[in-house]
This record gives sequence, structure tokens and C-alpha cells, in this order.
Amino acid sequence: MTKSINTSGVGSAINRVEGHLKVMGKAKYASEFPIENKVYGQGINSTIAKGEIVSIDTSEAEKLEGVLKVITYKNAEKLKTLEGVRPEIATDTIAPVLQSNKVHYFGQYVGLVVAETFEQAQYAASLVKFEYKKDPSAVIDFEKSRSKAYTPDNDSNYSRGNMDQGLAEADMVVEQTYNTPIEHHHPMELHAVIASWDNGKVTAYASQQIIEDAKIAISGTFQIPKKDVRVISPFVGGGFGSKLNLDRHVIMAVMASKMVDRPVQVTVTRTQMFTNTNMRQQNEQKMRVGAKKDGILTALSHETLSHTSTTQEFQEPCGMVSKMLYNVANNEVTYKLIPMNMQTPFAMRAPGEATGSFALESAMDEMAWKLKMDPIEFRIKNDTQTDLHEERPFSSRLLVECLRIGAEKFGWKDRKPEPRTNKKGNWLIGYGVSAASRNSPYQKTHSKVILELDEDKVFATIQMDATDIGTGSYTIIAQTASEYLKIPVEQVNVELGDSDFPITPGSGGSWGAASFCNGARAACENAIKTLKNNRNIAQDEEVAVSELLKKNQLTKFEAEGMAEPSAEFEKYSVFSFGANFSEVWVDKDTGMYRIKRMVNVASAGKILNPKTAYGQIIGGLTMGVGMVLAEQTRVEPNFGNFITRSFADYHVPVNLDLANIDVIFLPEEDKIANKMGIKGIGELGITSVAASVSNAIFNATGKRMRDLPITPEKLIEAGLEEGVTA
Amino acid sequence: MKDIDKWNEAVDPDNLSDDENMILDAMGLNGSSRRKFLKQVSAASLSIYASSFFTSELFANTMKDLPEKTTALLNEIKVNIKVNDMVKPLTLDSRTSLLDALRERLGLTGTKKGCDHGQCGACTVIIDGKRNLSCLTLAATCEGKEITTVEGLAKNGEMHPMQQAFLKHDGFQCGYCTPGQICSSVALLEEAKNGEVSYVTEDLKKVQSGLSLSEEEIRERMSGNICRCGAYNNIVQAFKEVHTGNDEMPTWEFATQEQMDKAKNA
Repeated sequence: MTKSINTSGVGSAINRVEGHLKVMGKAKYASEFPIENKVYGQGINSTIAKGEIVSIDTSEAEKLEGVLKVITYKNAEKLKTLEGVRPEIATDTIAPVLQSNKVHYFGQYVGLVVAETFEQAQYAASLVKFEYKKDPSAVIDFEKSRSKAYTPDNDSNYSRGNMDQGLAEADMVVEQTYNTPIEHHHPMELHAVIASWDNGKVTAYASQQIIEDAKIAISGTFQIPKKDVRVISPFVGGGFGSKLNLDRHVIMAVMASKMVDRPVQVTVTRTQMFTNTNMRQQNEQKMRVGAKKDGILTALSHETLSHTSTTQEFQEPCGMVSKMLYNVANNEVTYKLIPMNMQTPFAMRAPGEATGSFALESAMDEMAWKLKMDPIEFRIKNDTQTDLHEERPFSSRLLVECLRIGAEKFGWKDRKPEPRTNKKGNWLIGYGVSAASRNSPYQKTHSKVILELDEDKVFATIQMDATDIGTGSYTIIAQTASEYLKIPVEQVNVELGDSDFPITPGSGGSWGAASFCNGARAACENAIKTLKNNRNIAQDEEVAVSELLKKNQLTKFEAEGMAEPSAEFEKYSVFSFGANFSEVWVDKDTGMYRIKRMVNVASAGKILNPKTAYGQIIGGLTMGVGMVLAEQTRVEPNFGNFITRSFADYHVPVNLDLANIDVIFLPEEDKIANKMGIKGIGELGITSVAASVSNAIFNATGKRMRDLPITPEKLIEAGLEEGVTA
Repeated sequence: MKDIDKWNEAVDPDNLSDDENMILDAMGLNGSSRRKFLKQVSAASLSIYASSFFTSELFANTMKDLPEKTTALLNEIKVNIKVNDMVKPLTLDSRTSLLDALRERLGLTGTKKGCDHGQCGACTVIIDGKRNLSCLTLAATCEGKEITTVEGLAKNGEMHPMQQAFLKHDGFQCGYCTPGQICSSVALLEEAKNGEVSYVTEDLKKVQSGLSLSEEEIRERMSGNICRCGAYNNIVQAFKEVHTGNDEMPTWEFATQEQMDKAKNA
């Protein structure tokens, strides 16, 4: 069969296949399923950072009309609890809650009110009175707690060559510290669940990125068999890492459903999104860079001081970029964590790269300025096709192409290397560049295809427990099935987000597209292979799938498939690469600045659908712009609560903050990465954006900004008068 | 209120609304394949398809009023809410926001709760022609008002041009802020027609009706609707296309082989 039919297969810029549901308000998110007899739960948060609950008065709340139950540690079901000192948090970690009177951080759940209506539950929650005994030893001030830092015991420290020797060989050294604050994911959909407990079986409509891990966490927490848990999440209103693991509202809802014998809906409030659904932690990154006069790097070290909670450990791999991005023989990466009385941090979009690249790519710009070299040429000079950290080649690396093609598109040649020389009225204009890299994992994925013949048309349904968190999974999976079955995409139905479907790694870590599509491919290929084998048709003979079903005298046929990394994959380092360019205008008197335009070049393997891939890139850029412009969660230094508790004080980028963005995809297929040549793109976009803007601000003003976010007041403090402060 | 199983039974292929027919047309399902598809819809896929596709009557899927014994509500009020040209009498807790009334009592979950504090725009609906935040609007104040939600924008089985433009330009990702963005955009078209000013309007003396909004004006006037996925560029393009009637071109491209060779060998 020739490819004469329009399959709208892989690579086409088709509209999202589930898009009509979203624009018509018909896509169903977790809290929107019409579950009969449902009641509402409202979580209550602690108001001290460390200590014990000494008394609880639930009487007033319980008197209220409609209140069914007030759950606290006193009447909560006993759950499996965490073992060991600060066990590492993972995507399938159990989430025990309301297990004792101990309080570990400000905002920890200490109770749940269940009532007939949302209004009743909300009001009743405010009437439950807690008395606490405060422990004055709470660790809530990062600055004052440095001495408490420890080295996490997970082999994350790394070195090659000899740092001291590298620095001694250098003609120029940059030694600077870069700070990034606590940030929050804030997907637009509040974390939510409708859970029901029915004779030992749990059903949870829950907004989760990884269905299988949510299932493992529920079964682990309640110590019930995995088969008795079903998690359903067909639409996820954004995740960015916050919905990777199972957060405690889900466990509270399940527990409550068991106690009141009705389905319970718990929607986390926007304020609780700060304290109960993960965060990116504060990082202090000390960089030391050494280079020869000709721009050859001789040394690079990246030391990160950060924090975790007192109960669980998470360490953001900020130094990852410094280990692999440049050709430098002497390299050191270290980590230290301060256990603090705060929520356990966890992965936020491009954990490690997003923050680490701000430090590395700022330091690279500082070195280029010192060397009086063009920052692009400086990076190209230190390019490497080998991952010196893993000691193996990159499967493909087109960083030089990203930088050069981006430079041309952006008009880099018009950049004035000397700061403060490009002016327009009150505006100081600067250009900035940064390089980007993001690990591109690929994981074992199962999938099922159901083929149905109707006259001459074959309709295919793909099922897997993958999720679409806005990434375009429905669309690219449909395109994959269309490609491999050679049927129009309109005849493909994709069903995701249900733990009854075959297991996938879910959405996270930029592995979704490669894993899901290769999984779907495997199922489609298996279907065709089996249909051919059954009728002794040669595998290389081209026969339409409709013909195959007919020859098999079948009107319906199901096949499963599994895809996983090859042995070849393990021999290479698989990363996506990119380059960011920004033009920034800074008002020389007020420090206000506008990002006028951005160019991003992405080398991310096979682009399955440029429309949705573009969405991933501009989405990453937008969050990167948020990092540099405004995003910051502030901690009250006496009480340990967050001062920023809503969108009124935690500012995420709005429409006017963004500028025109041009995105160039490089025509690449990385067949080492996987059979379809796909690499990750979901996190590449956010990587190093903050540095490109900050570098542009230096080019505009001559002031080097090393603390995110770069607010106008910080620029004014840095002094916007003439001169370069390097 | 129907649960999923009852829903399944309620799906009658012979009795579809214009909207549903349109959606199935869009999926390319006709004749027997359409019938077959409807029969095939498994319990699991109901979560994606049936509950969202099959809304034969706008309010057929609404939740029934809460049982009498539990409706001894604080400051109980009765209000007739007119949404999308249909009226539903409701008995509500006086504290109920329009947003919660729509979502929890009328089953109109297209309107989203993003913050419940009037800070994100996800709950935007159109009340008497103006965009409003339903989370800051008490349901009790809505008697006699005309409310349009995202579910009410399509007419005669045809999506509103703004919905079509959002689909074409990928003006969303996760889709959660989308109903608010679209309601905001639809009302903004009228604001431009009426010559209403904004924070970035250059000359307040020169305001006239039938404004042609600059990109900056569009961005400013859409800044009350947060999109955390960051689809702002595409949202602006979708709005522009409907506002001006001119096609907007994508701002992505692929590097050519020539560019690749030149970059490699420079």
C-alpha cells in the first residue's frame, strides 16, 4: 500500500484531538465528575512551624448543619508511616496524614471537615480550634541555619580532574554566587480528588500526572492490594511537577469516604497550593569558572546549598548542567541540604536544569565579558560531543547549530557588546543569549490497541494509563497510531488516564512523548504483525489494516505492545539541546523592564506535532520569564509561614509580560534515543531562559543581577547610573 | 444526578443534540460507524467521552437539589438562575458563589475554579454582556440576569468563532483556563466595539467606538486571565484573527538543511 491517504501522521501540525472538548468546556477534570451522593471535605492547616497539638475543640464545627465528620489525628485511621530519617521522596511515595499530634511545618494538614456542601465544610473548618505547644527550635530561616546543612547521602557529589589545578591554569576566574528563591508550580487546576471507598475498593478521580504511581501510593498508604485501587485522570489541568506524586489531600479524601461511607471531594485551595502540593526550594549556587585567554575552559565547579524538610529528603540536581554541558577537564559538583520546618520540596519543571542553568549560563556570560569574547563563540569553543560526566557520547548534540541558527534569526550581529550603548529615549536595550540542555529519558511503556472494522474503515482505539497534562499526549498518540496503522487520524480514538489501562511512566521528566508514542507504536506494530502472521502474509508486504482484518475474517482485534530503551540507548547520553535569545528594554530611571522579543531554537529529536511542540516551548519560556520577572515565595522569618499566599502576591507571568516568541525546530531524528527518534521537549523550554534575560539586562545596563527574581527595586539598588559593575 | 453507569444507559444514539452530532461529525463518524462508536464507548472512556459529549439537554445532566433533610441551609435562599437561555430555580446557601452554583449545583463544570479569589480569571463568565468573575459574584445577586458560560457560546451546533480560533491556534494546553480565556475574549470583542479604554490606551481623548486593538492592547486586556501553561502568544493570535478577520500565521519554523550546513561549517 502506498501512502496516498492523508494519515495526518507523525509530524503534522494538526489541532489537538481533544481540543474541541477544552474550548467548549466539556473536558472533565478531577472534581467535575458527577458522582452521586458526593460530599465535600475541607482541609485544615497548622498555624505553627514546629510543635505539638495539645488540644482540639471540634464541638462548634460538629454542631453545624450539614457537618458529617471532623477528622483529626485523634480519630483518623492508622496508616503506613514513613520509615527512617528523612527518606527520599519519590513519585510513588506513600502520603500518611493526620497520624500524630506532631507538627513539622506551618501549613501541614491537621484536620479535615466533611460536610454536605462546600460552603458548610469551608465554614466548619474555620470553627475547629487547635491549641499548640510551640517548639522554639523550628528551623525556618535559611540564612541563619547554614551550619545545619548536611551532605545528602545519594552519590550526588561528583568530581573529575583537579579543580585547584584547573583554576591555577586559568587566565581568568569568575567566582560568583547565584540565588533562586522558593517557587511554586501553580497549575491552574487546583489539586482535587473525588474519592470513594466501597467495600475495601478505592476509586479516585484525582488530578495526577502518573497514574500508576498514584495507585502505588494509595495502596501503600492504606496497605491494601494494588488491584483494589483505581485512579482516573483523563484531563489534568496542568502539573509542572506538582502532581507527579500523590499529595495528602487524596489520602484524606479516601479516609473520609471510608468514615462517612460516601464519596468525598477535596479541592485544595489556592492558598493550600503553597503549603500542601510541593514547591521548588531555594537554591544558593556558588560557581567557580576558570578559562584561558583564548576562551578554553580549564575549571568549573558548581556548589549548591539548599533545603529539604525535616521529614523527607529531596535534592534538586542543580549541578547536572555543569557536569555535561561544556568541555572542561576539571569539574566539581556538590550539594548540601538544610533540613527545615517547611514542606518537602519536590520536582518543578526541569528540576536541576531550570535553576542550575541560571547559575551556569550567567557565569558563562560573565566569563565571556571578562574575556571580551562573544558569548556565543565562547560557548561554541567549549562544545563537546562527549558527555564527560557519563563518559559516553551524546546520542546527538546540535548545540552549535542551535546557537548559530538562533543568532541569525535573532539578529545577534546587531548586538553592541559594550553595555549601555544601545539606547532609545529612556530605554537601555540589551541582547542576551544562553545555551540549554535537558536530559531526555525514555521509559518502559505498555499500550493496547483495539481495531474495529466498519465496512472499509478501520477505527482504532489506543488505551494506556498515560496522562495529558496539556502536553498534547492525546494528539501525538493519535498521530502515532495513524502513522503506524496507516489510517486517518480521525479514525483514531485515544483513551488515557485510567489505571485500568496498560501501565506507562506517566507525564513528567520530559519522558512522556517518547515513551507514550513508542508504546503506542509497539501495540500497532504488534497488531499488524500478528494479523499478517495469522494469514502467512510476509511482514514486508504492504497490506492495508482493513484488508488484514478482512483476510483474518475479523471485525475486531486487540493487541498489546511494550516499548523500552534499547541496549544501544544505554551506551549514550540522551539530551535535548537549545538556545535562548532575549531582547530586553530597561527604563534607566525606574528599573522597570520589558522583554520585547525572544527566539528559541530547539533540538529535541523528531517533532511529532509542531503546533503542540511550540506550545511546550513557549510554555517553558513563559515559566522561565516568571522566574526572572517575579516568581518568589517568601517565608515569614518569625513564624515560618509563607507571606505569599495567593496570585495577588505570588506573581506569575500574565499576557502583557510576554513578548513575541519565534521558535525554530532543528530537523532532527535521534534513532539512538528510540525507534521513533523522539526526545523530550516539555522542560527544554524553561531551561536557561532566566539567564538569557539576565544576560540581556547586563548588556542593557552594565549591572550583573545574580538573585532571582530580578525586580525593578533590585535594579535600582544595583544602581542604574553609568558604568559597568561586573 | 447520574453516576457513570446510569450515564451509560442514558446515552441514546438516536437522540443526540446538535452539539453532539457536530462533535461526532468532526470526528468523522457517520452512519453505522457512529452508532457503533456510541455502543463501543466503554465505561472507562465514558470519563472522557460520554460525560463530556453527551449533553442532550443542557440541564439534563444537572445535579438534583440536595435531599431535604440536608438542605437546612444557613440563610437559605431561592434564586432563579438564567444560564445559557435556560432558567433553573435553585435553593441555595446564601454564601454560594455563582461559580459554585454553576459547578456544583447545575453541573456546568465548564466554568473553572482556579483561585476562588478573583485573581486568575478561570471562572470568567459573561453576565449581561460583560465579563465577570463568577467566584466573586454571589449566586443570590444573579436573579434576572443573563448569564452565558462557555457551554452556551456554541450556536446551532457550531462553535463560536473564538472557540474555533482557540482550537486552530492552540490557544491552550491543559485547557483549564480556556473557558475563562474564551469568555473574556468574546466579551472583549464587544468592549472594542464599544470603544472602552484600558490601562495602555495611549490617548484617552481619542477613544472611539469600533476600536482596532493593538497587540499590546490585547495583551493588557487579556492579562486578567492567567494561563500557567503559557499559551499567551497563541491566545493573542486567536483573538487577533477573530478581531481583524485576517489569518494569523504561526511563529514556529523548521531550520532548513542549508541553515544546518551553514551553522555546522561556520
